Amino acid sequence: MDFITGEIVGILLFFIGLYGLMTKKTIVKTIMSMSIMESGIFLFYITINYTDGSVPPIGQAQEAAFVDPVPSALMITAIVIGIGVTAIGLTMFMHYKQKHGITHWSRNRNQTGSEH
Amino acid sequence: MLAPILTGAITYLLRNRAAKLFLYIFQVLYAGLAFYVFMTVKQTGPIVWNIGGYTDGLALSLYADSISIFMVLMTAVFYIAFLVYATREQYFRPRFYFLFMVLQGLMMGLFLSSDLFNIFVFLEVSTVVVSILIMINKEKQAIYDGMIYFFVNVIGTAFLLFGIGMLYRTFGLLDIRAINEAMSLLDSPRAVVLPYGMMMVTVSLKTAVTPLFSWLPKAHGTPSAPPVVSAVLSGLYIKSGVYMFIRFNEMFNPVIDMHVFFFWIGFLTSLIGFIMALGQKDIKLILAYHTVSQVGLIMMGINMASEIAFWGAVYHIFNHAIFKSTLFLTAGMIYEEYGTRNVYQIRGLFKRMPWVAVATTFAILGITGAPFFNGSISKYMIAHGTYDYTVTLLLNIINLGTTMSFVKYATMLFGKSPKKGAVKSDFYALTACVVMGVASFFTGIFGEGLTQFFFNYEVHVNVDEYIQKGMVYVLMIVAGVAFYNGIIKHGGLITRIGHLELTFNGIITSMAGYFIVLVVYLSLIL
Repeated sequence: MDFITGEIVGILLFFIGLYGLMTKKTIVKTIMSMSIMESGIFLFYITINYTDGSVPPIGQAQEAAFVDPVPSALMITAIVIGIGVTAIGLTMFMHYKQKHGITHWSRNRNQTGSEH
Repeated sequence: MLAPILTGAITYLLRNRAAKLFLYIFQVLYAGLAFYVFMTVKQTGPIVWNIGGYTDGLALSLYADSISIFMVLMTAVFYIAFLVYATREQYFRPRFYFLFMVLQGLMMGLFLSSDLFNIFVFLEVSTVVVSILIMINKEKQAIYDGMIYFFVNVIGTAFLLFGIGMLYRTFGLLDIRAINEAMSLLDSPRAVVLPYGMMMVTVSLKTAVTPLFSWLPKAHGTPSAPPVVSAVLSGLYIKSGVYMFIRFNEMFNPVIDMHVFFFWIGFLTSLIGFIMALGQKDIKLILAYHTVSQVGLIMMGINMASEIAFWGAVYHIFNHAIFKSTLFLTAGMIYEEYGTRNVYQIRGLFKRMPWVAVATTFAILGITGAPFFNGSISKYMIAHGTYDYTVTLLLNIINLGTTMSFVKYATMLFGKSPKKGAVKSDFYALTACVVMGVASFFTGIFGEGLTQFFFNYEVHVNVDEYIQKGMVYVLMIVAGVAFYNGIIKHGGLITRIGHLELTFNGIITSMAGYFIVLVVYLSLIL
């Protein structure tokens, strides 16, 4: 099972998320697909250029190769942003649903109620 | 870069009249600073700031060359006008101008950042800020449009992040200039096809080219968004997409050359943009679709593979910012006065709001490329990029389309006003509009000098040819009026086309489709 590496799984997750976005009309499912897509990206990043048996770049251990710390550092930022974005998306959705009771992407632009 | 965000925060805390004053003083000083840096860049060449004391290429760095600093200067100066416009408006509350200033800081960051990951962060945060600005009035339609804008763009930036990851995997670098250097060492260009495709999806989404523009009219033309927000989005923010397009293509330049593809994409975008605009009757939507069309024109200019057309396109970015902002701002005043946004119901603007009408007229003349106005200079430069007959024809088709829909827009100016007498408008708003309208005239007259000053690129406008263009313009107006009376007034097919819209899922699907087309096309030509 050599081909199941983090990178391949990451790419697969990305496209599964994309498929969800393309086909699902529920707004909650959109947000979920978005998270799946993002997880795919995170997985892809942290397994970039990873070799077996490498150690974290902490301390003075010299016997094994260091992992590249940059992608992990980037992903910390990206995960934080991702959480923020998901939270904002959910907030918007909740507000919208409570006020107007709509949970799906509608087909047409709603023309009523916008005369001003 | 951080300064506007800080100022926003301070004024948010101050919350009173002093806050506004502080805001203006700051903005003027900031524009001054931008101008100072601009002059430095002009004299000594590109500047690089490296953060953290690492060597260039590894550190997070800010990079300013002639294009990026020009964009920065443009943003800073236009923000003065926007702030002045909004002074008396109801929505101009601390919460609003905090976000508004934050957006300015983020745009500066986008223009100056040389680090790919930082660009991603700026994009993501600015998406959040913009969507909140769109729905600041909490109206139903605005929230729906804001949500579509938000999700589409977040997903778009996810593509960018993935593309950056792939690039990092190949090069181990994140700095645009360093990657550009490393690019020529690449064994096979196929290694960068996927990242290029990914990144171009995001950039094309931001610039709103053909299959991906559906979010733009929703975001820019949403009914209850404040006019200032629409003006910023349409005039400045969309340009960050164009700017990234220039930057990324420069980065991939040693390996990938796609200008033919994007030239045609640009043409299609402009064509569809004005056809959709013709079908609209909401003035804000007309302007929003027109942004699509003009961005298409800018893309054509950039991808013509000739220097004069490229600088013409960059100058058009500037000009478009002037007249589209003016149009959005005046549109805001018009529909507040008339209480409707239907273009067929607004009449007699010259009698009712003379100064607004003057500003609108200047902007319309600018956008249609009337002689002596700024649009004509940049369009002239773009048209000069080619001697190919077909391409000239294509450009003229786009011009004709622009003229046609602005003939429709201009009908607002004349006719009988439902109410007698002139209305007194808000002084600040009026000043901002008129100044910007007149600016579109002066940037036209001094076009040659300005391009020289901004880009160090000399243009000589050939008088005979210019007069010839002027004649063509008059012909276009006549044709536009004829078309308007003949076809557009009666609606029918064209209105139906105008109401075609993609759903959210449709937008995402077209994004995926666009990605596949890009990758297939790339693997065919490489």
